[in-house]
Amino acid sequence: MKTYLFQRLGIAVLTLFGMSVVIFVLLRLAPGDIVDILFSTGGYVNVEERKAIMKELGIDKPLVAQYLEWIRNFLVGDLGKSYRYDQPAWDIIRPLIPVTLELAVLSTLVAICIGVPTGVISAIRQDTTLDYALRVFSLAGLSMPAFWLGMVIILALVSYLQWIPPVTYVGPRENLWLHIVQFGLPALAVGYRSSALIMRITRSALLEVMREDYIRTAWAKGQSERVVIWRHALQNAILPVVTVIGIEFAFLIGGLVVTENVFNLPGVARFLVQAILWRDYPIVQNLVMFIAVVVILSNLFVDMLYGFLDPRVRYGS
Amino acid sequence: MRRSTFVSMGAAAALVVAGLSLTPAIGQAPKSGGVLNIMAREDLAQGFATHETATVATSTPSLPCFSNLVFFDPAKKTESMDTVVGELAEKWSWQDNYKNLVFFLRRDVKWHDGKPFTSKDVKYTFDLVREAPEATAKLRINPRKDWYANVEHIEAPDPYTVVFRLKRPQPSLLLMLASGYSPIYAAHVPPANYRTTCVGTGPFKVKEWRKGEFIEYAKNPDFYIKGRPYLDGLRYVIIVERGTRTAALQSGQLDVAFPGETGRTAMEQLKKAVPSMVFQPVAQNVSDNIIMNTKKPPFDNPKVRLAVSYAIDRRGLIQAAHQGGAVLGGAMLPKPYGVWGMLEKDLLALPGYGKPDEMKAQAKKLLAEAGITPQNPLKVEVGVRAIAIYLDMASFVVNELKQVGIEGTLKQVETAQWHPMATRGDYQMGANLTGLGTDDPDANFYENYACGSPRNYSQYCSEEVMKMFERQSQELDPKKRAAMVVDIQKKLEQDAPRPILAQRLDYYAHWAHVKGLVAHNNVYNFSRFQDVWKDK
Repeated sequence: MKTYLFQRLGIAVLTLFGMSVVIFVLLRLAPGDIVDILFSTGGYVNVEERKAIMKELGIDKPLVAQYLEWIRNFLVGDLGKSYRYDQPAWDIIRPLIPVTLELAVLSTLVAICIGVPTGVISAIRQDTTLDYALRVFSLAGLSMPAFWLGMVIILALVSYLQWIPPVTYVGPRENLWLHIVQFGLPALAVGYRSSALIMRITRSALLEVMREDYIRTAWAKGQSERVVIWRHALQNAILPVVTVIGIEFAFLIGGLVVTENVFNLPGVARFLVQAILWRDYPIVQNLVMFIAVVVILSNLFVDMLYGFLDPRVRYGS
Repeated sequence: MRRSTFVSMGAAAALVVAGLSLTPAIGQAPKSGGVLNIMAREDLAQGFATHETATVATSTPSLPCFSNLVFFDPAKKTESMDTVVGELAEKWSWQDNYKNLVFFLRRDVKWHDGKPFTSKDVKYTFDLVREAPEATAKLRINPRKDWYANVEHIEAPDPYTVVFRLKRPQPSLLLMLASGYSPIYAAHVPPANYRTTCVGTGPFKVKEWRKGEFIEYAKNPDFYIKGRPYLDGLRYVIIVERGTRTAALQSGQLDVAFPGETGRTAMEQLKKAVPSMVFQPVAQNVSDNIIMNTKKPPFDNPKVRLAVSYAIDRRGLIQAAHQGGAVLGGAMLPKPYGVWGMLEKDLLALPGYGKPDEMKAQAKKLLAEAGITPQNPLKVEVGVRAIAIYLDMASFVVNELKQVGIEGTLKQVETAQWHPMATRGDYQMGANLTGLGTDDPDANFYENYACGSPRNYSQYCSEEVMKMFERQSQELDPKKRAAMVVDIQKKLEQDAPRPILAQRLDYYAHWAHVKGLVAHNNVYNFSRFQDVWKDK
């Protein structure tokens, strides 16, 4: 197990290194830089002033030098300074992380709470009206983008109640109820979409397992439906579901852009888009690295979970 | 310097302004307290460094922190020389036939960090902006250096007197100093610091700027006008998503919209949803226009430029792209929104303002004279920033051009690329918006049409027109000057380097409990909020 873990962590380091190169290069391939943006807010460009700002920000150096400087600083915990805000990148990034993590975790919980039970019911009531209804419900979730659903929620609330969730962040200690509302609604919008995927995977995996001999044996032994389904079938069908949940969670960390915008939540994804538009390299590079770390850890966690869920899976032997 | 030698000129000169009092709603005494929640559509572009930016996204949310020497009277929505009132200057006087402008400063003003405000700060600020040899610091980006090109020297003979010595008479200087883009910086604070924080003398102090989320102000207890501001604080809430911004205003989480944010359609929706909401129809002093590269074919040919101008139906654009939320106008804001604009009869004689069929026929004729026919059509790329407010207008323009035989292709350009492209002249034609920091001919003409100006994107340069600019700039008789300005506008539309298509309107929205707030016909010059109070 330990060997496996070390192997995975080694691969993770290599992946992060690869990511760092990719994001660094991709950012520089995009036309324009922070200096262009700064001048665009002034409505003109001056070549000499441009050179001076590039020097001030250190983006006049060769790309290799810039990359090495970033990595060197990154390794000692210095994330650099935001070009736009002229402040340490970590000071800007730090408050964004809990917001996105909380939203992603809540959305995933919503997705699991809706997706797994509906998937199970749909499988055990295959081809009944209930199954069809749940499949339509699921298909609708897949068809409706979370941001659209979010916008519909906002518009419905404001039209009928003249109320929307708070548009500035409310901490749980400040007002727990408002905090729950503020995160609950977007989590519902995002979680519904993810739940659709989980529901379909749960259903198909369960249907496959239900045809196995050992399930037939369980029925033959006279075990109750609850035991057959939840203990024998679902436990064996859950691995692909866990995989999907892991992938969805990882996707949510960077993929909540529009939801964060619609609900005006100050999270990573919303800020990342702004930073990309501003070519604020230190912010973008470090946020993408953060997302990469979460994705890697989430995959690792899912893999570890396999071993726990399925005794046949043993690592490192 | 003896004050008695000063020659007072005009009603505004030597005006004593003890306080910028805005008449409260009739029968109601202003109430103190409360925090005003204000809409912001994006984060501060360059912090509070107003002198380093030309975007309302920075200048407007920074206004509560700063004071100017002079400012436009918050209670009067149309800005002119007559509505200029003192802020840090108690009074001012022109002397030597408008060649020297002398300001007498308040003695009771403190910076937000407690240090006293003096004439040194004024000299420092404008030496900085005009990049004078004696300037002790330098701005990173300096978009309005040209505004002060006529200032020869600034003197601070004593702590409470400042003298602007000009190369030639320029009455417009006062209007440029009254713009929201002309705040006074503290000499003891490096200009770079304004990108992260704000040390001003204004009615509100910056309390917190949470990046991408909000900018919070607290009342300045040492504000130099006693009893102001009424509010305890302000909070600019940054909401990037347009639908959410509107919903936040409608739900009451915001009290006030952002200047220029409420178009006609949004106004109608809000009015239906909240009948008690207040809308103030004003001009933005932002025009839709077409920029054409006069240094490159085919638009180096004035006939082709003129044909483009004839081809575009202004009224059609106002209906299609603005749903009626814009008005006809030339380079200067039309009356009654501004003071220098052309009258309708003059406008009707301009290219593109007449009957669409006749205008398009004229466009085709001009194109034929330039050798452009259906057999030999003109193909052009129309550059446009990839932002909705630009795209609607650009799409309409492309369609209009098609009707006279010009095959336009929209080329969407990211903001990062737009200004480098425009300044370099690396384009054929572009759909553009131009905002003017003040309704003043000098600020507009020298910035957008003068030879060599970095913001003269069409690179238009006419010796004749430059002379016209100089003449109007020095003219002391307002009536004569107004006539000259009209002639210049006509000439500019005939030469068509940057045909004006429409002047945008704003239906500035706020809840009825917000009192003492008067929107101006210029998005850049109000929002100090010192006279605003909440009846709640």
